[in-house]
Amino acid sequence: MLRTEKVLQLRGQQGRAVRVVREHYLRPDVPCRSALCRSAQCRAACARDGKLLSDDVTHYVVPDCKVVQEYLEILEFPELKGIIFMHTACQAVQHQKGRRQYNKLRNLLKDPRHDCTVFANEFHQHCYLPREKGESMEKWQTRNIYNAAAWYHNHCLGQMPVVMVTEDEDAIRQYGNETEGVFVISFKNYLDNFWPDLKAAHELFDSIVQARRERESESQENHGKEYPEHLPVEILEAGIKSGRYLQGTLNVNKHRAQLEAFVRLQGFGSKNTELQSDILIYGTKARNRAIHGDVVVVELLPVHEWKGRTVALCENETEDKAPADTTGDPMPTGKVVGITQKNWRDYVVTFPSKEEIQSQGRNAQKVLVTPWDYRIPKIRISTQQAEALQEYRVVVRIDSWESTSLYPNGHFVRVLGRIGDLEGEIAAILVENSICAAPFSEIQMSEMPVSSPKNPWKVSPEEAKKRLDLRDSHLIFSIDPKGCEDVDDALSVRTLPNGNLELGVHIADVTHFVAANSYTDVEARARATTYYLADRRYDMLPAVLSADLCSLLSGVDRYAVSVLWELEKESLETLRVQYRRTLIRSAYKLEYETAQALLDGDTSVVGNILELQGLDEGTRQQKVAELVWAISKLTDIARHVRAKRDRCGALELEGIEIRVQLDDKRNIHDLIPKQPLEVHETVAECMILANHWVAKRISEDFPHQALLRQHPPPRQEFFTELRECASAKGFSIDTRSNKALAESLDRANDPLDPIVNKLLRSMATHAMSNALYFSTGSCPEEQFHHYGLALEKYTHFTSPIRRYADIVVHRLLMAATLRGTTGDVKDNITSNKDLEELCRHINNRNRAAQRAQKQSTELFQCMYFRDRSAESDERCVADGVIYSIRTNGVLVFVPRYGIKGAAYMKNKEGLVISCQGAGSCQWKPGSLHRSQHKITSTTATGDSVTLSLFDHITVRILVQSSRCHAERIKLEIIRNAPHHTADTEAAHRSSHGVRSDLVKEVSQSAEEAQRAQERARVEVMDEESQEFCQTKGPSLYQLLEEIRELALLDVTQDIRT
Amino acid sequence: MAGLELVSDAGFRADGRRPDELRKVRARLGVLARADGSAYLEQGNTKVLAAVYGPHEVRGSRSKAPPDRALLCCRCSSAPFAGGGERRRRPPQGGGDRRSGERALLLRGVLEGAVLGQLYPRSQIDVHVQVLQADGGSWASVSAAGLALQDAGVALRGPVVAGSAGLAEPPAGPPVALSDLSAAEEAAGGPRLVVATVAGSGQLALCQLSARLHQERLRPVLDAAQAACRGLHAVLDGV
Repeated sequence: MLRTEKVLQLRGQQGRAVRVVREHYLRPDVPCRSALCRSAQCRAACARDGKLLSDDVTHYVVPDCKVVQEYLEILEFPELKGIIFMHTACQAVQHQKGRRQYNKLRNLLKDPRHDCTVFANEFHQHCYLPREKGESMEKWQTRNIYNAAAWYHNHCLGQMPVVMVTEDEDAIRQYGNETEGVFVISFKNYLDNFWPDLKAAHELFDSIVQARRERESESQENHGKEYPEHLPVEILEAGIKSGRYLQGTLNVNKHRAQLEAFVRLQGFGSKNTELQSDILIYGTKARNRAIHGDVVVVELLPVHEWKGRTVALCENETEDKAPADTTGDPMPTGKVVGITQKNWRDYVVTFPSKEEIQSQGRNAQKVLVTPWDYRIPKIRISTQQAEALQEYRVVVRIDSWESTSLYPNGHFVRVLGRIGDLEGEIAAILVENSICAAPFSEIQMSEMPVSSPKNPWKVSPEEAKKRLDLRDSHLIFSIDPKGCEDVDDALSVRTLPNGNLELGVHIADVTHFVAANSYTDVEARARATTYYLADRRYDMLPAVLSADLCSLLSGVDRYAVSVLWELEKESLETLRVQYRRTLIRSAYKLEYETAQALLDGDTSVVGNILELQGLDEGTRQQKVAELVWAISKLTDIARHVRAKRDRCGALELEGIEIRVQLDDKRNIHDLIPKQPLEVHETVAECMILANHWVAKRISEDFPHQALLRQHPPPRQEFFTELRECASAKGFSIDTRSNKALAESLDRANDPLDPIVNKLLRSMATHAMSNALYFSTGSCPEEQFHHYGLALEKYTHFTSPIRRYADIVVHRLLMAATLRGTTGDVKDNITSNKDLEELCRHINNRNRAAQRAQKQSTELFQCMYFRDRSAESDERCVADGVIYSIRTNGVLVFVPRYGIKGAAYMKNKEGLVISCQGAGSCQWKPGSLHRSQHKITSTTATGDSVTLSLFDHITVRILVQSSRCHAERIKLEIIRNAPHHTADTEAAHRSSHGVRSDLVKEVSQSAEEAQRAQERARVEVMDEESQEFCQTKGPSLYQLLEEIRELALLDVTQDIRT
Repeated sequence: MAGLELVSDAGFRADGRRPDELRKVRARLGVLARADGSAYLEQGNTKVLAAVYGPHEVRGSRSKAPPDRALLCCRCSSAPFAGGGERRRRPPQGGGDRRSGERALLLRGVLEGAVLGQLYPRSQIDVHVQVLQADGGSWASVSAAGLALQDAGVALRGPVVAGSAGLAEPPAGPPVALSDLSAAEEAAGGPRLVVATVAGSGQLALCQLSARLHQERLRPVLDAAQAACRGLHAVLDGV
C-alpha cells in the first residue's frame, strides 16, 4: 500500500481559506469487477460482492464527471450496458450535485438488473494521478478518468474496447488517439453512433441540453451572479478624477427600455471635451442595476464595440431580441461600473393578472410587478395580497438590488385606485412625478389672514401709508384665460403730464402674506409650483391667497409690487424705471378673447365685460374707449419691445397645447388646440419686460445671490434632424446663433402648408435644452444669457401665486429697493449655496409639473378616443402630417388634436402597407425602403406607396390599451391623401376668424410700416453686417419683407377656399 | 460534513483504506540526545514527539513523592503549528491548556498502570509529549510515551500502545467498525473508542468512549480497537 498526501484548499466556516492535508492511500488490489478479468488478485477482491460487469457487451463506456452530472437520467436507461462509473465521477456528483442525485447514482449502481459498476480508480496505484499545480479541477478529473479508462482497457487485456464520453472538447482532441482501443467522444456523438435507435434517450438528451442552456443564459458566467459587482467608491472617485470613468445621469430610452439607456455627462466643459454626445449603455447587463435617474459612473468600451442607437419604431411590448439591424452610426458606448447616487422614488406598479401569476410557478409569494413607467425594470414584491391587488394601481418602493438577482426587490406601500379609473390614473401620474398635493394643514391655514363673505379682508391703514397708492391714478386691468382664478398680473398704461407714456406691470404681493420660513412658505417651497393638470390644478399656496387675497380681481383693493417704466413718447425708449410696493384696484378682469376683440375694434363683446354692466350708455362708451386705447397702446409697446428683442435674435417657438373641454359632468367634451391670439403675445411681452428689468435690478444689487433664469445655447448636433427635415422642403436652417435660427425659421414657411413651419418650430424647440433657474453666484456672468428670449438677464417675477421662484425674486427685489432705508434686509436673502440648492429643487419640480401636465393631457386624449369606436366614429379620422421618417414607419402630427404619434408601415408579421387608388390601405407582404426624405413600401405584387416628409395623410386614431402602463394613442394610416372633412372643418373654423384675421392683417401692415422706419434708421448698421455676413439678397430687410408678403398671401388664400 | 460517508459502497474509506486497515505508522527512537529516552511517532498525519527524563531524584517539594514508588510527571503540549484545532489558543507560559492537561492526566493514568513504579521509590520520571502535527488520534501520544519509556530503559510491564476504533453506519448495509480513525472520520461525529493496551496482552490500560454506542455494537468496535492496538504493536515491535 502506498501513501500519498492530498493537499486541499477548503473554505472554513468564516470563509477563510484553510489548507487541509489529507492522507490518500493507493493500493494495487482495487477490484475491477469485470467478468472479463482474469487476474487472481482481482477475482479475490471481487468475490466479496456479487455484481460483475458482464462480458457480452460490445464495449464498456466510461462517462466523464460532467456527463454523469448532467446526463445521469440517460445513463439510467436499461438499454445502456457496460457502464463503468469512475470513483472520481461519483465523487464529483456527490460534492457538486447534492444528496438526491448521488443517491440516485448509488441505487443505480446497486441495481442488479442494470449492467454497470463503479471502479475506485482514485485508490488504485496505477490509476491515480495527483493533481498538478495550477490544474483546474475539471481538467484533473477528466485526466484521471481517462487514465483509469486506459488502465481498464489494458487490465482486460484489450479484449473490450472502452469508450470514454466527455463534454470536454479539449479532452476529445487530446486523448482521442492516444491509446488504441480507448475512444474519447462526446456524449451526443456516442448516442448517435452507438444507440441511434434509442429514441427516448435522444429526446431526453435534447431536453436536458435545452434546459441547461436556458439555465446558463439565465445565470451567466460568474457563479450565478446576474451582474458584476459595483466598484468601491474610492476607485470610482479616483477613476473619475483620472478620466478613466465618466459620471452622469442615466436616462433610459422609453421606447426601448430593455436595451437602450443614455448617460448624459455631468459638468460640461470638463477636460474630456472630445466626448460631446451622450454615452450609450446597451443592454441591461451593461446597465448593471442602475435605474432611470441614478447618477452613475461609466467606463467606455473600446471603439470597436460601440453601437448605434436604434432608428426603427418599436413598441415596448415586443421584447424581440432580434439583432437590430437598423441602427444608426456608432456612438460612444459604455458600461456602468458604479452608482454614486441612487435616485429611487416611489413607483406605481400593476400586479400581474391571475393567469400570469399562475404561470410564474411555485413561489407565488414573490410577484414580479410591472411599473407604470416603462423605464423602470420589473420589481419583485413579496406579498400575499397579489390576487386582491390585481385590479389596482399600487405604489411600491425598491429596497435593494443584489448582484445575484435579475430584478430589484421591493415592497408594497399603498393602493392608489382602480386601473382605468380617472382618479386612480391621475393619482398615478402624481406619484410618478413625485408630486405631493395633500390639502394644506391646520397650522398653515392658521397663518392665513381671514377673509369670508361676512367679514371681508380689508386694507390696513398703516400698510396703505407705506405703499404707493395707484387706486385712483391708474387704469389697471388684467387679461387672463377664461375661468382663471389666480390673477397674479395686471397691466396699466397712461400718459404722463410731460407727454411720456407710463407702462405699469402690477404683480400680486404674495410675500406680504407669506413671511419667509413660515409654515406656508416652507410648504410652498416644497411644492415649488402650482401643478396644472388637464382638468384640475394643485395650488402652491392655500386657496384663500391664490384665489382671493393675492388674486388681482377687479373692483377690490389689493397689495401689489409694481414695475413702472417711463417711456419716451415717440421712440418708446425707457427713461426711468421704478420698483414699488403699491396698492391697486384692478378695473377690469378681461379674458384674452374679449381683449382681442376690443383690440380688433369689435365692440359687440362689451356686453361680456361684467364690470361695465349696469352703467349708462354714455359712461360705458367712455370707459370702453379708455380701455381700448389702453389695450392698443399696450400692444404698440409690446410690438416695439418684441421687435427690439427680435433684432437680438429672439426665437418664436412652437409648442402644441391642447385644452380639454369638459362638460358639466366632467366628461370630456372635446379636445381643442389652443388658438394663439395677439393679445397673448402682448401680455407675454409685458411680462418678459418686467422679468427682464427685475432681473437686471436684483443681479446688480446681489451679484452673488440673485435668482435668475438662464437658457443655455443648445448643442449643435441636436439640430441635425431639424436641418434634415427642413432640407426636405428645400429650406436651409442656420443654427449657428439664435438670431440666425430665428431668421431661417421665419424663412422656412411653405405658403401652401402653414403646418410645416409650425412643425419646424416645434422641432427646434425640441432640440433646445430647457431654461433653468440658477443662482448668480454659481456661474460666470457670460452664462446668464437667455438664448430663446435673447436677453442678457432674465428671471421669473410675474407669477408669485403659482411659482416659488417668483416669491424668492420678490423678496430679493424688496431687499434691493429697501436697501439703505431699513437695516433688516438680511432675512430676505439666502446665501449662494442655499439658493443653488433651492434652484435645483425648483427646476426639478418644474420638470415634474410639466411632465404631469403632459401625461394628464395624454390621459384625456386617450379617454376621449377610447369612448369612440375607431371604425365608425368620424372624429377618429383626421388629417396628419409626416414629420419624421423611420425605417419601419413614420411619425405623424395631427394638427386637429395636437397629437404626435407613430404610424407603422410594417406590422409585426412583416407585412407592409399598400394603398389602393380608392384610398383604403391594406397590409400585404412586401418590403420597405427608406431614403433620407421618403419611405417607400413595395408590395410583392408590385404596387408601391411613397410617403415623404410633410406629406398630408389620413390617419385613424386608435387607443392602444395597456394594463400596466398608461394608454397610448396609436395612429393608423388609412389613406395617403389629405383628409377632406378635416380640411373643410378647418376652413369652417378659419372663416370664423376671417374678420379678426383681416383686422390683424391691417394692423400688421401698419406695424410693418412703423418697423420699416425703425429699420431705415438702423439700415446703415445692417449694411455693415451684410458685408461681413455676406447675405445674397439686396438687404436683409427686403428679404424679410418678401417673406412677410408671402405669409400674407397665404392667409388670404386660405380665406378664399 | 453531513454528506460524508465513512465507508463507500465499494468498501473503501475516504482516504482509500479498507475498514480494518490502519494508517501508515513510522517510529524512531532516541531522537533527542539530551533526554534519557525519546521517541518520534508518526501515525498517518499525526506526528508526536515524546521525551522521558529520569528516573531521577524528586525535584521540588519532596512531600509530594509517594514513598513506595516512582512519581510520574506527565506533561502534554501541542506545537502552535500543529493544526487540527490544537492551536486555537496559545498555551500560557509553562503550563498547558485544558485539553493538554486532560491528556496529561490520561497519559499518567495509563503509564502508572504500565510502569513498574515500585522499582523506583522516591524518584521521579518525567514524560513530556509534544504533538507536532495533529490529524486525529491524540492517543498516538500514549504510544509515543510508551516507546520513549522503553527507550529510556524504564521497567515496564510491557510495551504500551493505544488505538482507536469507530463505527460507520452506512444508510444501507450492516454497520462496519473502523480501525484507527483519522481526523476527518472523528469529525464526522460517530462514536469513538480509544483503547490502550499494555504488553500486547489484551490488558486494557485505558478505555475511553465518546458518544453513545449501542451495547451490542460495543464488542465489534472494541475488537477493532484492540486489533488496531495489536497491529500497532506489531509495527512498533519492529522498531
